[in-house]
Amino acid sequence: MSNKRSRDEAGMDSTSDGPFQSMFETFRVELDEHHARRERVIKASRDVTAASKKIIFSLQRTRELDQPISPPIKKTIDPHLDNIKAQYNGICSDLQGLNAYRYQSNISGGHQEFMEALSFQYYLENQALIPYETAVSSLNSLVEGANKITLTVDDYILGIFDMVGELMRFCITAMASTGKLPARSKPRRSTSKNTLQHSDRMDVDDGAGDDVGDNEQEGNVLSDLRQLRVALEALDVPRKSWLENQVRKKMGVMQTCVEKVEKSLYGLVVRGAERPTGWMPDINEAERLENRG
Amino acid sequence: MDSSSVKGLVDPAIFDQLQRKIDEDAVVQEGLREIVDRLEKQSKSTKAALSKTHAIPSKSLASVIQASEASIRQQLPALSKLVQVASQHPYYRWNGIWSRQIQDLVFDIVYCGWLGGFANQPGQSEGRKEIGKLLTIDEVADIMQGKMPANLKDRDEFHLTIEEYLHALLSLIEELSRLARNSVTLGDYERPQQISRFIKDLHSAFLLLNLKNDALRKRSDGIKYKMKEVEDVVYDLTLRNLLPKSP
Repeated sequence: MSNKRSRDEAGMDSTSDGPFQSMFETFRVELDEHHARRERVIKASRDVTAASKKIIFSLQRTRELDQPISPPIKKTIDPHLDNIKAQYNGICSDLQGLNAYRYQSNISGGHQEFMEALSFQYYLENQALIPYETAVSSLNSLVEGANKITLTVDDYILGIFDMVGELMRFCITAMASTGKLPARSKPRRSTSKNTLQHSDRMDVDDGAGDDVGDNEQEGNVLSDLRQLRVALEALDVPRKSWLENQVRKKMGVMQTCVEKVEKSLYGLVVRGAERPTGWMPDINEAERLENRG
Repeated sequence: MDSSSVKGLVDPAIFDQLQRKIDEDAVVQEGLREIVDRLEKQSKSTKAALSKTHAIPSKSLASVIQASEASIRQQLPALSKLVQVASQHPYYRWNGIWSRQIQDLVFDIVYCGWLGGFANQPGQSEGRKEIGKLLTIDEVADIMQGKMPANLKDRDEFHLTIEEYLHALLSLIEELSRLARNSVTLGDYERPQQISRFIKDLHSAFLLLNLKNDALRKRSDGIKYKMKEVEDVVYDLTLRNLLPKSP
């Protein structure tokens, strides 16, 4: 065809490879590096997610609140924490400088799941919500060297949303095995040995804490869950933002989780009197009970 | 005793601080969106100017090109504003807000350049007046903003990314395949051949890239269909002996 023949007269600096090859070869190198980084981040994010889930699974065996995680449970957690540490160290250099936010959507899942595990453990040990700064420094305490990993407020918040589900599971299991809602195991004052600054603040005004053990309404996980629900619902996120989109997805699940605990407690109160100690309706039964009555 | 009297899980200071951070982000996003909206509004008049290229024979295109070039340059102050505001933050923190508009602007520039526009760039010894040229990523970045870097990797600054440039080239291919047909309608039987060669060259260049499963990959898969559309036009012309004789 004639267009083939006239190709060399096309007014472009054609070479035998075509006129744009050298620019595209530069692009290829850059894009290959970018894809390699992105794939490393995606893989690390998946591994962090899997390890965090295993940590959460072990933490769910905890029965006491406001105390350090028991040694046997801690022993099962540690290898997974080491794995998370290795994953974060492996990709830390991919998340620096210009690239600090470039792979945000790829690492976000891992960050969120790790926040869920971290905040759940923090809650079990302190019966308090882990502050954002503490979460940031906990994450970066895993990273060796001077580089830091960015943890966005968004990922922290979304992790907290998911943590509500873990608190729900923790409540249901505890209610099934002990017949009551988990609550502070000892008066707040005795927690002063705790080294975390946060709990110091909580110890200051403790007038209401003395009779805590006797009153089921106070200091139990359900009242914490309700506070958390109110605080999460009250967050005012920017319209049309990624965060708004994510929060919308998680809000309903979070609310359902709180309600499941409430329904369980209802079942416990209604049926508790006629059942032997330790018996506990499961969630579905609590729902059926409610629908019927 | 209600639970509000109990010190519990949620330290209000935690959520106050979160809300503050969220609000700060919201202000930044709003400010950027405002600038991007302005950019988008101005780009509409460029689009209108460039659309005339489909209805005017190539011989009389000079004034259209001139008007399009001027219209593109009118977008530049808004772009400067965007660069200035966006540079206060990590580049990839908010680049999703403006990426599409930048792609559109780059398309305007490369299309205008292909038709013979942007012939005399500062810093270039000789102009590239010819029809059918591809402005390189660096040339485009120069036109967009005197000092705007293209394809940065060592500094966290505002820049034109490879992906944005490549998306604009894919738009260029789509626009040219449309132009090929319309050229015939206007009696220009030579341009479809030129477009066909150009798209083939770009196609073989895109084949060099190892694109992963992303938007670029999906769009670049479409090049071959555009290539075929233009080939069909050339085929129709050849069949009817309408092609200008090769020298």
